[in-house]
Amino acid sequence: MTSLEINDLSVDLNSRRVLKNLNLQIPSGSFAAILGPSGCGKTTLLRSIAGLITPSGGAIRFGKQLVSVSSLVLPPHKRNIGYVPQEGGLFPHLSVAENVSFSLARKISDQEKNQIVNEMLELVGMKGFNDRSPQELSGGQQTRIALARALAMKPAMVLLDEPFAALDQALRVDISEEVVALLKKSGTTSIMVTHDREDALVSADVIALMHGGTVVQSGTPAQVYLNPISAEVALSTGDIDVIPAIKLANSQYSTALNEVNFNLANQPAANLGQILIRPEEIAISDEVTAGAVTAKITKINYYGHDALFELKVGQSLQSIRARITGPSQYRVGDTVSISHNGPIRWISSEAQELNL
Amino acid sequence: MKTKTLDENLHLESIEQPGSGSKLLALLSFFALIFAAIPFFYLIKGAFSGELDLIKTVLLREKSLEIFATTIALMSCVSVVSTLLGVSLAWCLHNVNLRSNSLLAALVILPIAIPSYVYTYSWMSIIPNLQGFAAAVFILILTTTPYITLAALAALRRSDRAQLEVAQTLGLNKWRSFYFITWPQIRNTVSAGTLLVALYVLSDFGAVSLLGVDTFTRAIENLYRGSFDRGAAAILALVLVAISAILITIESNTRQRSKVISTSSKLMPSIAESNSGRSRFLASLLIGLYLIFALITPLLQLLLRFISALPSIDYGNLFRTALSTIFASLLGSIIALLLALPVGLLSSQASRIGSLTDKSLLIVHALPGIVMGLSLVAIGSELPIVYQTVALLAFSYALLFMAKAVGFVRTSFLRVPKNLMEISSTLNQSKAQSIRRVMIPLATPGLLTATLLVFLSAMKELPATLMLRPTGFETLATEMWSATAILQFNEAAPYALLLVLIAAIPAFLINRPDKSEESGVNIS
Repeated sequence: MTSLEINDLSVDLNSRRVLKNLNLQIPSGSFAAILGPSGCGKTTLLRSIAGLITPSGGAIRFGKQLVSVSSLVLPPHKRNIGYVPQEGGLFPHLSVAENVSFSLARKISDQEKNQIVNEMLELVGMKGFNDRSPQELSGGQQTRIALARALAMKPAMVLLDEPFAALDQALRVDISEEVVALLKKSGTTSIMVTHDREDALVSADVIALMHGGTVVQSGTPAQVYLNPISAEVALSTGDIDVIPAIKLANSQYSTALNEVNFNLANQPAANLGQILIRPEEIAISDEVTAGAVTAKITKINYYGHDALFELKVGQSLQSIRARITGPSQYRVGDTVSISHNGPIRWISSEAQELNL
Repeated sequence: MKTKTLDENLHLESIEQPGSGSKLLALLSFFALIFAAIPFFYLIKGAFSGELDLIKTVLLREKSLEIFATTIALMSCVSVVSTLLGVSLAWCLHNVNLRSNSLLAALVILPIAIPSYVYTYSWMSIIPNLQGFAAAVFILILTTTPYITLAALAALRRSDRAQLEVAQTLGLNKWRSFYFITWPQIRNTVSAGTLLVALYVLSDFGAVSLLGVDTFTRAIENLYRGSFDRGAAAILALVLVAISAILITIESNTRQRSKVISTSSKLMPSIAESNSGRSRFLASLLIGLYLIFALITPLLQLLLRFISALPSIDYGNLFRTALSTIFASLLGSIIALLLALPVGLLSSQASRIGSLTDKSLLIVHALPGIVMGLSLVAIGSELPIVYQTVALLAFSYALLFMAKAVGFVRTSFLRVPKNLMEISSTLNQSKAQSIRRVMIPLATPGLLTATLLVFLSAMKELPATLMLRPTGFETLATEMWSATAILQFNEAAPYALLLVLIAAIPAFLINRPDKSEESGVNIS
């Protein structure tokens, strides 16, 4: 178990800068998720941590150990990391037991090896699968064996590269819960790359959000979800309504809607920006009272456990979304009143330019 | 490997950049290249040892120009017809549902086991006055077509059916779909097959000698046998090498220009699709005619001659000769594999040194057996300890066919998913350990195929064997040749038949469809 510290990491691939002065700290024993859209450099970051590619600059430390500085790197086989790639990456010419014991030193006796293999297989719920070949396993079983193989070497850190991406939805939820529980139980520092925001929010102790080759925000799932530093960051952790606004004073904003007002005051504009609202923070009611902000339902996306309403506010062109749980009596075309029940996330235009 | 110590007393090493390869592999590849260069060294030495006027005299005499024209004409005719026939056969086997496509494919490829001189012998047994250029074209088409069919069939199996289906839904008929969609996908492989055919014709000795066609190989043999001064033979051999080098360069340049990129992440494999009666009839006719000329007639003729020769067969000699053939060919194929391993491994890692060695070996591959024999005889005259030994004969096989082995070795290593090597390196395994524990076991089927291919080629090799075999050491090819040369066709039959039967085993194994792509596990 070890912590991870990355300072000013840069990586160039095919003359293109993929990672740009990236900084990240992962505490020892935590389960971290690196979340970001395709092409943002998540896998490159993971491969840099594993030592599979040579950075062009910056430093990586495992605890106090420097494992990479500038273009000098410790080779992967000396890093003591467990790597679980997409779809498991089991060696097809070896049995399950041989896969799991692959990393164990030759000086270990066969009896000890068998014991470790059996312990690992029991840990991942695959007891008795020793002599099976990888071809005989389902996708989920292959992922579990890959995890057993990574854990058998008692790694200081486990790296998971979208390990559940190839599994179907139902299996993915089950397997990811099991794997995350196992890793947390083992206390091994784990880093999982994913583009699935639900996977990251549900599993991780720490989330690092990547955009354009760098980590733009990191923190606990609640911190990054509730306090995003930009609209893009907010969008990568969930649905978001972005409403143009003018900040008048502390806690006083005028939105571009003219109708959804937050402490509206008739004062000159201080600066321009946006207010970010999560759809679940918008409440709707069919009681349209005088002075209430009204909106017309233009679309309903029904998900079963909840529904996402798209609303057109008053006479303006601004639309806003609201998430309503449970059954609802509303239909497209209904006029309702809306209200905001959540924190105000103000992003000034200047800050946005800096953050993005 | 550069090592630096940092303040934390931790050793950080510069990991190998893509393309750099390891120094040990580079060194071993360099040795392979040095071995491969030996024949060239002796050829150049032989060619320039006499007076420079000799070069002018040999190159500009009328006979040389005639030989040049005949060789080029023969090569062109055979290459064009074999390519058309081979691609047509492959297309029929792949696209027309003939019920027993797999069996027919195996039969169509089987003639790869029959050397040109056995074909010539068989057909001369039927048509005794078979002679001349047209006969050589006919025989060499029969001999070389399987190389194209094998290549085209493999490429068609790898082609993406989804692209073809989309093209057809966009209004392209079958011919236009083939031209615009299928052909670009198989063109590179087919052109590599055509190059192989052209090189085969350039280096063929058996058919042209028996049919009396004056090509470079026959002229070199005549000069070598008929003169103590072997400079003239070396000069002609160098011309042959130059023609081969030009062909390889042209093919290589064409290949780079016509690189096709698949946009699909997973290819949808093609399957036999045409079930119309007309298609079946035409495909059956083409395949049937080819099999009659290339397989059934020669085998039947060999069998009849064999039965006629039954009372006089020297079974002891037949058995000894078969064992000698297998021993020398096996030794040659093992040496070839050992030389090919580092080169193939290095070039599979996109190493510049590996790629350079790989391309240089292709030139060696283009060396006709007779030229290899000539140059190794020259070595033998300076190194009496190796002259007239089976080791030198096996070494000549290894050098002649190493490029074939390198191609298979490289492809086998390239097919090992890169991520498995990376995973191995994260599991405490050094690069050498990963190669030993992951790469080589996964590439083993391909490595065995490479060995079989060299074994098959070595078994059939005639001119180098005639020149380099130790006194009293006979192979099936040389025994058959000796009997044919004095028109004792019945005596030649047992050796020819046994040669074909033994060669058919590796030929059949090489043609097996690759099962690894059909396995359920996802290893990429």
